[in-house]
Amino acid sequence: MSDYQTFLQERDQIDYFTQKGYRIKNITENLSGAFVEFERESKESKEFNKETLHILTADGRKYFSVVLINQQKEGA
Amino acid sequence: MADLRINLAGIESPNPFWLASAPPTNSGYQVQRAFEAGWGGAVWKTLGDPILNVSSRFAAVSFNGQKVAGFNNIELITDRPLEVNLKEIYETKKKFPNHAIIASLMVEPKQEKWHEIVKKVEAIGVDGLELNFGCPHGMAERGMGAASGQVPELVEKQTYWVKEVAKTPVIVKLTPNITDITVTAEAAVNGGADAISMINTINSLAGVDIHSWDTIPHVGGKGAHGGYCGPAVKPIALHMVGDCARNPRINIPISGIGGISNWQNAVEYMLMGATGVQVCTAAMHHGFRIVEDMIDGLNNYLDEKGIASAMDIVGKSVRKYSDWGDLDLNYKIVAQINNDVCINCNKCHIACEDTSHQCIDMLMDEHGNNILRVREEDCVGCNLCSIVCPVDGAIDMVEMPSGLPVMTWNERQAALGAVSCSVDPISK
Repeated sequence: MSDYQTFLQERDQIDYFTQKGYRIKNITENLSGAFVEFERESKESKEFNKETLHILTADGRKYFSVVLINQQKEGA
Repeated sequence: MADLRINLAGIESPNPFWLASAPPTNSGYQVQRAFEAGWGGAVWKTLGDPILNVSSRFAAVSFNGQKVAGFNNIELITDRPLEVNLKEIYETKKKFPNHAIIASLMVEPKQEKWHEIVKKVEAIGVDGLELNFGCPHGMAERGMGAASGQVPELVEKQTYWVKEVAKTPVIVKLTPNITDITVTAEAAVNGGADAISMINTINSLAGVDIHSWDTIPHVGGKGAHGGYCGPAVKPIALHMVGDCARNPRINIPISGIGGISNWQNAVEYMLMGATGVQVCTAAMHHGFRIVEDMIDGLNNYLDEKGIASAMDIVGKSVRKYSDWGDLDLNYKIVAQINNDVCINCNKCHIACEDTSHQCIDMLMDEHGNNILRVREEDCVGCNLCSIVCPVDGAIDMVEMPSGLPVMTWNERQAALGAVSCSVDPISK
């Protein structure tokens, strides 16, 4: 699969979580790429649901960064 | 007709084209010929204690048939007594009162030495002084030139000594043989310099003769490093000019030097912050009359753009020269191949396939013709295909809106830093 196809998948996954109400809570970048931790508080149980995406592509890392900046602007 | 006059730290000249301190400005005969040809100013070949030279002195690097892509020299400062040079400077200034004559100076890093030469040179009437803290060969082995220009404290102190007695503007000429030229530029500012000029030549060995095993050039079978200049050094020099021009602590005019061969090169330097330019290699390659094209070209350029004065373009590109961390990560361009212009040499495909991002496909159109096509989604916009393409107009690099907002690396890292700090330790 081309980098571009991988990026499209990553972008869809990031969009999926943000549309479901998840917010980026932590990002770990290392030799393997970026691990983006999403978190959403369950309205019913008040528990936190967590999901982690392993982002491999450069475009994917740019994309979640834009999402993060938008998230911070909304929260400001 | 645009106004080509410049004023660099109080030094006025009829146009921005000066000859740099070098072999072309060795004597009154040469400088007067240069002024007759149209040069606006000349920085006289460096004055100091007369030296001894060797033979041979120059070497050039040719590349793919292009003669003098780079030029190397091991010639030192003037080998003539100061009085001889001063007499010729006086005569030249008398004949050409409206042209700028700047005396390049180099002495040992001692206060009394600087005071002595400054007073003697200014007494005969020059428009300014240029302190040679840049020559990398010969004199540097004796603690002068680049040897003192690489030590910020010495740059500041010697500039200060000169300014103690100088009555004309003082330009400090900087060596590029240093990690960060803004450090020595700031030292010159702190010493009271009225302007800086850059770059002097770069440490170099032009070549080795693979048959005789001698260095190029060599002196009886032995060589020493020289100073490199000419078109090959222009990108290095232009960067250094830009780096100083955008530094708020370096708030004095810049005289740009390094591979300037035509009016377009001069415009680039001026846009990047140089008030004027100094030329050497191009004049040595083609003679003084190249200045005619430079003057015509600059004049036409300014007229076509409706710009009244050459001074009006100085520094216009400086704000566009930034740090990598301030570039937009989401800006995207891609290559587009115009197959009606393309000659199917496949150089772009080979370059992309072997050394870049493998996004140019060799295909066949409906008529059975070979065509090349870029997979735009995989193109990173590196420019390599358009760089290697031998046909003008065959490859365009076009903007491809990413749909994402401007985001620099610095902004991204700030956002990532903020999210890490905001992590709730309990939920984590």
